[in-house]
Amino acid sequence: MSLQPTIGIETHIELNTNTKMFCRCGVVDTEDPNVSLCPTCLGLPGALPVPNKKAIESITLLALSTGCEITRKGMFHRKNYFYPDLPKNYQISQFDLPVGLNGELEIVIEESTDNIQIERVHMEEDTGKSTHSGSGRIESATSTALDFNRSGVPLVEIVTKPVITSSKQAVAYIEELRQLAIDLNISEGRLEKGNLRFDANISVAPEGSSELGTKVEIKNMNSLRSLERAIDYEIERQTKAVEDGVEIIQETRHWDENKELTSTMRSKEGSADYRYFSDPDLPNMYLSEDFINQVKSTMPQLPKKQREELVDTGLSLKQANILSKSDVWIKSLYFKVHKQTKDSEASFNWITGELQGQMRKSNIEKLPDWFSYEYLSEIIELIKNSKISFTSAKVILSELLNTDSTPNEVAEQKNLFQENDTDKISEMIVQILEENQDVVERIKTGEDKLVGFLVGLVMKQSNGSVNPGMAKELLLKKIED
Amino acid sequence: MSKDFDIKNIAKLASINLSEDEQKELDNDLSIILEHVKALSDLKLDTEQKEIFIHPLEKELELQEDKLVESLTHEEALSNAPKSKDGKFVVPPSME
Repeated sequence: MSLQPTIGIETHIELNTNTKMFCRCGVVDTEDPNVSLCPTCLGLPGALPVPNKKAIESITLLALSTGCEITRKGMFHRKNYFYPDLPKNYQISQFDLPVGLNGELEIVIEESTDNIQIERVHMEEDTGKSTHSGSGRIESATSTALDFNRSGVPLVEIVTKPVITSSKQAVAYIEELRQLAIDLNISEGRLEKGNLRFDANISVAPEGSSELGTKVEIKNMNSLRSLERAIDYEIERQTKAVEDGVEIIQETRHWDENKELTSTMRSKEGSADYRYFSDPDLPNMYLSEDFINQVKSTMPQLPKKQREELVDTGLSLKQANILSKSDVWIKSLYFKVHKQTKDSEASFNWITGELQGQMRKSNIEKLPDWFSYEYLSEIIELIKNSKISFTSAKVILSELLNTDSTPNEVAEQKNLFQENDTDKISEMIVQILEENQDVVERIKTGEDKLVGFLVGLVMKQSNGSVNPGMAKELLLKKIED
Repeated sequence: MSKDFDIKNIAKLASINLSEDEQKELDNDLSIILEHVKALSDLKLDTEQKEIFIHPLEKELELQEDKLVESLTHEEALSNAPKSKDGKFVVPPSME
């Protein structure tokens, strides 16, 4: 029996607003605990929540950009639970009337695309941060310490339908969603800071079966590596269980990064456990036509469209995807260099390969002021016209990152221009052949490999200024004569 | 009547323990209450009006600009806490 995994992903995106979702306390990035609080986010009696306009604009933009239907008449619900990380004893969230419904997001894997169906996009608030003290394990903690700075920070939750079939797809989906959030300028999208956190619902069922297997939820991952490994681990665990006839329990599991396995956290709650009801503190939320149109007018170019434009310049889909997920300055550098050189392959390779590689190696975060995109075009042209070798071009680029100069100047100074004057090279070759008669004889008897040795001599004598291809061609011709 | 609730599950959701006798009693009470409430379904409603949009307030939600407003100081925020340590609220151990 062949088993097919089915995965759905819930992602929480932390928005980049100045203030919290339901109060005007600042969203702060600090280790100092409890410094951005007010009666509302502390859940003090009598305090009333007022939603953040920017957050509602951001979620509407995200819902529109994923083609969701916008719920024009929405509302907020209370999701009740008893952890102390939200002092109200409930989280304000959305239940049956989320901002967006039924969207989709195009993802790219290698050279092909897929559409991931999105079930809903809703608004909620983050919780505070708990630290359990005692022996270090939650079960034997003696007390819990709470920092409420994060309590009430706006989160958008995006839930996919159970349509993802592999860890690869899951990773591509998160990469795409992250880029979308960055391009829409609604989140910093920094995974290492926990700006995106995801839960995966995983089940396995016999291939072709119309029913899904029992689902297991893996909570709170914030790196692509964890996501990929946790999914792979869980598919394997469940597949083995089904094959061995062991029943899979519906539960929430935790991914242990160090042990590389998932373990039971708690049996899964149903939505009845949360006793959702409409928040009486927050009246119905009407999103007017005007509001939606105004949000629409701020829509930037989306990653999908960017990829199409990049493919139009001659790049493969995979290359276009890499660029669409790069920093803005890299994308714009590509377009400028490509416009001058009309060579998509070389422009892409020099920018994403050599330039970024050298910058990383030398810890340069930003291109120096003197560095013009025209330098890259110039380097590409010099190679194309056989004026410099590929190796010399790398040396030139490295020099340009450190000193205010131009490619031509560097090539001149360092004597990196290739000798393309056939008469001059021929002269040199005749001399080398005379000095190495024995080698010539051996080549004539079939030791072809020795040609390389002679090419090396030419390069050495010319200080590397001869085009090696040309040297080989001329050598062979002379030997035949 | 056919029962569409499970008293044990309801007790579990409400985090209360019920003895067998209490279960029986409440099961009976709840059945009577539900039977009573069932009268509501006999109401003639305008089925064309499909919108289900229930909220105690008629008022429309107002949104606020994303502008910082200073509020409590760190000391004020912690002043009601029965116990605090290193600037954090300290509560009995909790499990997630």
